[in-house]
Amino acid sequence: MALAADAVPREGGQTPAAGSAAMSAPAMGTSRPAVADGALGRKRGPGALAAAYLVLYNVVMTAGWLVIAVGLVRAYLARGSYHGLYYSIEKPLKFFQTGALLEILHCAVGIVPSSVVLTGFQVMSRVFLTWAVTHSVREVQSEDSVLLFVVAWTITEIIRYSFYTFSLLNHLPYLIKWARYTFFIVLYPMGVTGELLTIYAALPYVQKTGLYSITLPNKYNFSFDYHTFLILSMASYIPCRGRRSWATWRTTAKWNERAATLHPNAVGSGPPRITYAC
Amino acid sequence: MKHYEVEILDAKTKDKLCFLDKVEPNATIGEIKSMFHKSHPQWYPARQSIRLDPKGKSLKDEDVLQHLPVGTTATFYFRDLGAQISWVTVFLTEYAGPLLIYLLFYFRVPFIYAPKYDFTASKHWVVHLACMCHSFHYVKRLLETLFVHRFSHGTMPLRNIFKNCTYYWGFAAWMAYYINHPLYTPPTYGEQQVRAALIIFLFCQIGNFSIHITLRNLRPPGSKTRKIPYPTKNPFTWIFLLVSCPNYTYELGSWLGFTLMTQCLPVAFFTLVGFIQMTVWAKGKHRSYLKEFRDYPPLRSPILPFIL
Repeated sequence: MALAADAVPREGGQTPAAGSAAMSAPAMGTSRPAVADGALGRKRGPGALAAAYLVLYNVVMTAGWLVIAVGLVRAYLARGSYHGLYYSIEKPLKFFQTGALLEILHCAVGIVPSSVVLTGFQVMSRVFLTWAVTHSVREVQSEDSVLLFVVAWTITEIIRYSFYTFSLLNHLPYLIKWARYTFFIVLYPMGVTGELLTIYAALPYVQKTGLYSITLPNKYNFSFDYHTFLILSMASYIPCRGRRSWATWRTTAKWNERAATLHPNAVGSGPPRITYAC
Repeated sequence: MKHYEVEILDAKTKDKLCFLDKVEPNATIGEIKSMFHKSHPQWYPARQSIRLDPKGKSLKDEDVLQHLPVGTTATFYFRDLGAQISWVTVFLTEYAGPLLIYLLFYFRVPFIYAPKYDFTASKHWVVHLACMCHSFHYVKRLLETLFVHRFSHGTMPLRNIFKNCTYYWGFAAWMAYYINHPLYTPPTYGEQQVRAALIIFLFCQIGNFSIHITLRNLRPPGSKTRKIPYPTKNPFTWIFLLVSCPNYTYELGSWLGFTLMTQCLPVAFFTLVGFIQMTVWAKGKHRSYLKEFRDYPPLRSPILPFIL
């Protein structure tokens, strides 16, 4: 749920996004009407048609993650326990999380002013966890760590997509903006923990079955060990999530400073230029 | 002779960094940089970017003061380019690495493969051939760096050496690991495939070298002039009719040959990544040629005839 300062999109850490995947879904900058206020040299915003499409997209995504949230609550109430809730929302989770791949396209086409590379890394990290870990290694699906990141993602995404929806409509309630910055503090570590524990839980099964691995000899003289790859992925969380957390912390601090001076209850106080500062 | 006064301001903060009086009108930017260096010894000339405008393009070392659009008191803006390292140093380091690293794998130095294979030799002759080709390629590059290339810039930012060495050394290790592996599988079509691949490889090595020599001869020693390259009597240069950067074309060809020879996926990846990077460079070079020369031959493509 990281936000960059609402300054020039290139602010704060245009560091190469070496696997800088975040718990929250990919950056989708707010759209601005094509007549950007003082946005010299910034990426162009969407036209009217694109803006309408983006509103639709964000509404659908908000609804989707709400469906997942409701599904989790209902399943919990029905069963009376936390365990195995993944199965009750497996399909919508896969559908809506995978749908986020469109956000890469939005950046590439230019209707959203975020970096394709950064957005790409962030979506791919989510998609990787959804498909290449949770879906692929059946045995981890009943782990509690899965619930941990699913809940974190769900709350984050509901806030994030509704944030974008309201911003596009130029009517952003302060509450949502506040929530986005504040919930991150709990949700991000929660999500990261859930993800790491899930990957860790998958390791023995991957090693035992040789999942997604290629051994020598073969006629293309290539090998790949998925088990080692997963371990390296876990290790990459330290620099990547660390950098992301730091950037978000800085952004939040800057925003709080600015909010302290401005009227805090201003509704629709201008959609900030959002790019991920990682 | 009317002397100029030169003041140099920091491009970001606009602080006055240096004031030079009694500067000759025919002084070059290079000479001004040396004078600036005297008052700020930490900023050697190679890391100075001097411009007329804080956000403008860097002036060239050869630019002469009196020919610039400045009054008799000239104001320049300075930006620190960061620590610099010479191109020659970077090239030598980044090419020496693969040469040595590949040999470590070829000779199966301990701790790479299982201990029973230490210092053994591969039983496939294509593996020996591949080692010769790979080594030849990098020796050629080293020699060209020392004796053939004429660089337009002396230096590049220091961080490039880490980036570049990671790329070259990393890929070299990755390729060499598989080619020299005890479980290496030789090419599917055997000797035929290897022979064809070797011919392609050698052809492109000679071609690449021919282009380097031609480009060198375009530029008198110590100069930084730029001219349109044309085909010469050497048939390997006739490709200039169709391509702006045939050195990259031949380089791609060499690595395609090596991929075919070794039938190794990591080599194919390396070829692909190199091709992407060289295409970016070729397109840039092609664009500069078009901008600089009105009479640039229209038939030429940046890197692949008619295609790219």
